[in-house]
Amino acid sequence: MSAALSDHRESIWGKAFYKFRHDRMGMLGLAVVLLYFIAALGVWLGVWGTGWADVDGPKWAPMSGEYWFGTNIIGEDIFQRSIYSTKTAFEIGLVVAVLSTILGALLGALAGFFSGRWIDAIVLWLMGVLDSIPFYLFVAAVAFALQGNPWAMHVAMVSTFWTTTGRLVRGEVIKLRNFEFVEAARAIGVPQFTIVFRHIIPNTFHILLVQATIVFVAAIKSEVILSFLGLGVQDGVSWGLMISESTLEVLAGFFNNFIAASALLFVLVMAFNMFSDSLQDALDPKKVAAS
Amino acid sequence: MELLQYTLRKLIGGIPLILGVTFISFILMVYYGPDQTFELLGKNATAEQIAEVRAELGYDRPFFVRYGEYLKELATLDFGLSNSTGEPVNAMLARTIPVSLELVTPGFILGNLLGVLLALVAAYHRGRWIDKAIMGFAVVGMSISFLIVIIAFQILLSSSYGLNLFPVRGWNVHSLYSYVMYVTVPTLASVFVALGYNTRFYRAVLVEEMTRDHVRTARAFGISPAKLLYKHILKNSAIPIITRVMFSIPLVVVSGSLLMESYFGIPGVGKVTFDAITSGDQPVLKAVVGLPAVLFVVTLLVTDLLYRVVDPRVSLM
Repeated sequence: MSAALSDHRESIWGKAFYKFRHDRMGMLGLAVVLLYFIAALGVWLGVWGTGWADVDGPKWAPMSGEYWFGTNIIGEDIFQRSIYSTKTAFEIGLVVAVLSTILGALLGALAGFFSGRWIDAIVLWLMGVLDSIPFYLFVAAVAFALQGNPWAMHVAMVSTFWTTTGRLVRGEVIKLRNFEFVEAARAIGVPQFTIVFRHIIPNTFHILLVQATIVFVAAIKSEVILSFLGLGVQDGVSWGLMISESTLEVLAGFFNNFIAASALLFVLVMAFNMFSDSLQDALDPKKVAAS
Repeated sequence: MELLQYTLRKLIGGIPLILGVTFISFILMVYYGPDQTFELLGKNATAEQIAEVRAELGYDRPFFVRYGEYLKELATLDFGLSNSTGEPVNAMLARTIPVSLELVTPGFILGNLLGVLLALVAAYHRGRWIDKAIMGFAVVGMSISFLIVIIAFQILLSSSYGLNLFPVRGWNVHSLYSYVMYVTVPTLASVFVALGYNTRFYRAVLVEEMTRDHVRTARAFGISPAKLLYKHILKNSAIPIITRVMFSIPLVVVSGSLLMESYFGIPGVGKVTFDAITSGDQPVLKAVVGLPAVLFVVTLLVTDLLYRVVDPRVSLM
């Protein structure tokens, strides 16, 4: 037992880590994501990106040493704004990914553990209902119900994005529930909720990690569309707001706002997708067992 | 007879779902939605006038009475007149739903057909460069925001900075030619966005089927690749493909067209819905929220019936 624990390559996580380290695309993706994360951290600590709301340049200045990406219609520095938006993106991505994963894990595990009982029926019904309300309408409705609260977008995303995680966890828990270790825990009289939280949910972490990365990407992509529709970021600036600003500019032939925000968003989402794919490959129990 | 029983049972089973969707939507959009009282009144309204308007809009009645009335309206498909324009809701829907369908249908069909085709090519050449190239493009496609794609296509195809072939925005359709002119750019954008996700999903499904023993046996018998792909692989993968296509229909019709309609200024049902939410136009809201829920339940039923058509092993129990 202790020998198996000390040799990390014997566990699913040790093997997955080893496999992930040797996946070049995944490592590249992770490196780019970390770079963005440092940029976001710098904004958060006030090291850079502080002048994103200063109106000091001319209208639509071209790229120059002073304004690296030029300026927008009212003379704000586009480079500063796109760097500041990195923080906004991470804020939205992390909040939505963490909260919806927790919610999906809890409700999915409860439904799976008590499958066939009323608690399962209620969770399944709730998932079905939330999945069949059109997403943008739901966000719009939450935004108005919360009367323009800046967190309305987050609330709406968390309350709809957890359902996929919930379904996957439910399926896995139904499988786990019949394993010997659960039976053993039950036999020695461990309370049901302790079994769920201590013994079952930790065994679904590989699903949760992958789902969290997928939700992160979905959240920052949805932000762009919601901000364009006027339902997204309320204060501050984001790539979505910059792109919706640019919809009028591009027809007048000024592309800096559009290109800066789109390129930064694309590279982050692409890197995160690559990271997420490799993680999925590394954590797939079937593939880990085979290698 | 068996089919009729099955249909009825499925429709009754869908009632909790419809109740749930309408209940949550009702709380969010109607009960906590924007209050129209003061928009309808002039300045300096008296207390009696306010009470009168509130009674007319139904704001003064208890919650469950209003919800019950909503369900009755949904059951009889009679939603009354729009608060904002005074037009009958049913007439509004009859005018705008066809526009949305014309807008999204070509893109939806092409996106799925091309997705299956590319997935077949990729799965057939699994592990080789053509597979890697297609899947690489799929990840790129998945990483670009829909809004960016729309703007980029607009610059490239309909502005003086690009080819300038198509109208920039709007929907002035009166002949086949004008339809093609207005529908091309939105269609290209939605195909581009859908292709990444679709190709990946369909490839996973097809690869799963391709590694089965019966495919190896068929290959050993020297069957031609075209027949193998169509008869042995595609037909056996029909169930997950149908599931994906069917389940995206209700969402594409409402959510999918909303972004394109508001970007291109197209008077479809997505735009009507969005305006109804932001202005609190209750009669319209009740219709556009309730009807997709009904559509969803009907989709569930039709999907189950389609399973039976493509796979005789599925029983309707």
